[in-house]
Amino acid sequence: MTREPSAIVEGRDLTRLFPMPAGAVTALSHVSIRVDPGDYVAITGPSGCGKSTLLHLLGCVDYPTSGSIILEGRDVAGLGESGRSRIRLNRIGFVFQRFFLLPMLTAWENVELPQAEAGAPKAARRDRTAELLAYVGLAERRDHLPSQLSGGEMQRVAIARALANRPPLLLADEPTGELDETSGEQIADLFDRVHAGGTAIVVVTHNPAVAERAGRRLAMKSGRVVTG
Amino acid sequence: MNAWGLAWRTVARNPARAALAVSGVAVIGALLFTMLMLSRGLLVSFRALLDTAGFDVRVVSGQGSMIHREPIADASELAAAIGRLPEVERVALVRTAGAVALGGRAEIRAVDIALVGTTESAIGGVWDIVRGSPLPRDEPAGGPPPMIVSTKLAARLRLEPGSPLQIRVFLPGTASALPPTEGRVVGIGGFRFEATDDLTVSTTMKGFASAFGVVDADEADIVLAASRPGAGSAAAAAAIAALRPDLRSYSNDQVVEQFNQNAFSYFRQISVVLSSMTLAFAFLLVATLLTMSVNQRLGEVAALRALGFRRRRIAANLLCESALLVGTGGLAALPLGGALAVVLDRILRQMPGIPERLHFFVLEPQTVVLHVALLSVTGVLASVYPIWLAARLPIAATLRREIIS
Repeated sequence: MTREPSAIVEGRDLTRLFPMPAGAVTALSHVSIRVDPGDYVAITGPSGCGKSTLLHLLGCVDYPTSGSIILEGRDVAGLGESGRSRIRLNRIGFVFQRFFLLPMLTAWENVELPQAEAGAPKAARRDRTAELLAYVGLAERRDHLPSQLSGGEMQRVAIARALANRPPLLLADEPTGELDETSGEQIADLFDRVHAGGTAIVVVTHNPAVAERAGRRLAMKSGRVVTG
Repeated sequence: MNAWGLAWRTVARNPARAALAVSGVAVIGALLFTMLMLSRGLLVSFRALLDTAGFDVRVVSGQGSMIHREPIADASELAAAIGRLPEVERVALVRTAGAVALGGRAEIRAVDIALVGTTESAIGGVWDIVRGSPLPRDEPAGGPPPMIVSTKLAARLRLEPGSPLQIRVFLPGTASALPPTEGRVVGIGGFRFEATDDLTVSTTMKGFASAFGVVDADEADIVLAASRPGAGSAAAAAAIAALRPDLRSYSNDQVVEQFNQNAFSYFRQISVVLSSMTLAFAFLLVATLLTMSVNQRLGEVAALRALGFRRRRIAANLLCESALLVGTGGLAALPLGGALAVVLDRILRQMPGIPERLHFFVLEPQTVVLHVALLSVTGVLASVYPIWLAARLPIAATLRREIIS
C-alpha cells in the first residue's frame, strides 16, 4: 500500500459565513482543496464568489466557520495567533493586488524586512535580497522607493518579498489586477519561473492569461467550486 | 531594520504631520515643564534665600504669627541667654517698622520705606554691600545713626555713602507727629528679602530706637540665631524653645514647611491641576495622531500581518513611533519651558511683597526626571489604543476592504 504524499495545504469542507445585520452571508460553502508540492493552481470566478476568502483561509489569515485547514500535515485550528504568524512568515508567501509595499522603504529594504523578522543573519539577508532582486530583474532599482517604481515593478518587488523566506507555498490574490497587459504578462512569466523553481502557487485571478498557465484551474461560483 | 528604524522612516514619511506632532508636544511639554518647575520652585527658592541669610533659627513672640508679631521685650537679655546655649553660635536682634525717608540732592523727596534695626553689623546674608561699608560695631556717641540703604532707594534719592538721610517713622495706630531723625548713609546694599515695590533702610538698634524718640527700647521683632556647626538648626530651635517656652522658635526647615503647607500650597495645587491638563492634552494629541496614522495605513498593517509579522512587532513599531514624537517634542519642550518660566517668573515677581530674589520657577534635576517620566508614561498610554487597533486588526477583512476601497 502506498502512502499519499503530504499536501502543502489542504482545505477540508471549508465554509465561511460573514455575519451581517441583515443575516449571515455565505462566502464559502463546503469547499475542499488540496495543494501539493509543485502545484500551480488558478482560482477563477466572478467577483464575490469566494475566491479571496478561500485564499485567505489557505493562508491562515482568516478562520473558517466550519471545516479545517491542514498545513503540511498539521491542523492549524489548534494554533494561536503567534503560531499562525510564524507559519505565514516562514511557510507561506503572500502577493496582494495592491502590492502593499511599505512606501517609506526601498525595494531592497522591503525584500529584506521579512527575513529580518524571521531572524535571518545579516549576511544571509544581504545575499538573499540581492539574489531575489536580480531574480525579478530589479537589481538596478534596489534603492528606489515604491513611489519611484511602476506598478509592474512594485509587484515584482512584492513577489521577491513573498519569496524572501523561501516558502514552499505562494498565494497571490489578483496579482495582475492593477497592472496593464504587458506588466501582467511579466508577472505571469515570473510566476512560471517561481513555479519551475519548485514553489507551489495558488493564484486568484480574473486574468485568463495568468489562469491559462496554471496546471490546475478551479472555477468558483457563489461560494462553491464548480469545476476543477 | 528594527522597530526604531521603521518608526523613524514612518515618521519621516510625513514630515509635515511629524512636525505638527512634535511642535504640539513641545508646546504642551513646555507648559508641563514650567508647571513642574512651579510646583517646588517657591519652596526651593525660599529655602535657598533663608539659608543665604546666615541664620537658621528664627525666634518671634508667642503672640501673633510669623508675619504679624508682637515685639519681644528685654531683647538684649534674651540674645545673651540664647547666645550662651551650646547649640547656638551667634545671635542677632532685628526690629522693623514702616517709615518715610526724606532725601534728595536737588529737592527733598519723601518715599515710604521699611526701616530695619539690627545688632548685626554685617547681618549675614540679609544684604550685600555694594558700595561703602557695613554698619559699625561700635557706634560713636552723639553722632548721626549710620544707615545702609538699598540700591533702589539710593538710586531713587540719589544717595551715596556719606549722604545725609532723614527718617520719620510711623507710629502704629496713630498719625505720626514725630520729628524726623537724620542719619548718615554708610553703605549701599542689595537686600535679599526686599520686594520689587519695597525700599529698605537698615540701621543699628540704637539708630532704630532714636527714630522713635527713645534712647533704648530694648525690644526686637525677631531674634535670629545661627546654630553651631554639628548641632543643627532643629536642636538649636528646640534648645531656645526650652529656654523660653513663651516664644516661638522656628528652624529654617520649619519655616519652609509652614510656608509649604500654607502660602505655597496654592501654587502647588495650580501646578498639579495645570500639569494634569497638559498631560491630558499631550495624551489626546499623540493618541489622535497615532490613531489617524494607523487608520491611514490599515492595508499596510494588514499586509505585514499577512506576511507573518507578529502583533508584538506591530506594537513595537507604534510604540517607537510614539516615543519618537513624544521624545523629540519633550526634548524641545525643555528650552521652551525654560524660556516660558523665565518670562512668567519675571511677571509673578512683580507682585507686591514678594522678595525680588525669590523665584517661582526653579530648575532642579528631579524636575527634568519627572518631566521625562510623565511624558514617557503619556507616550506609552497614548499608543495603547492605536496599538490595540493595529494588533487586533482582522487581516482578511481589512485586506478585502482595502481592495474594495
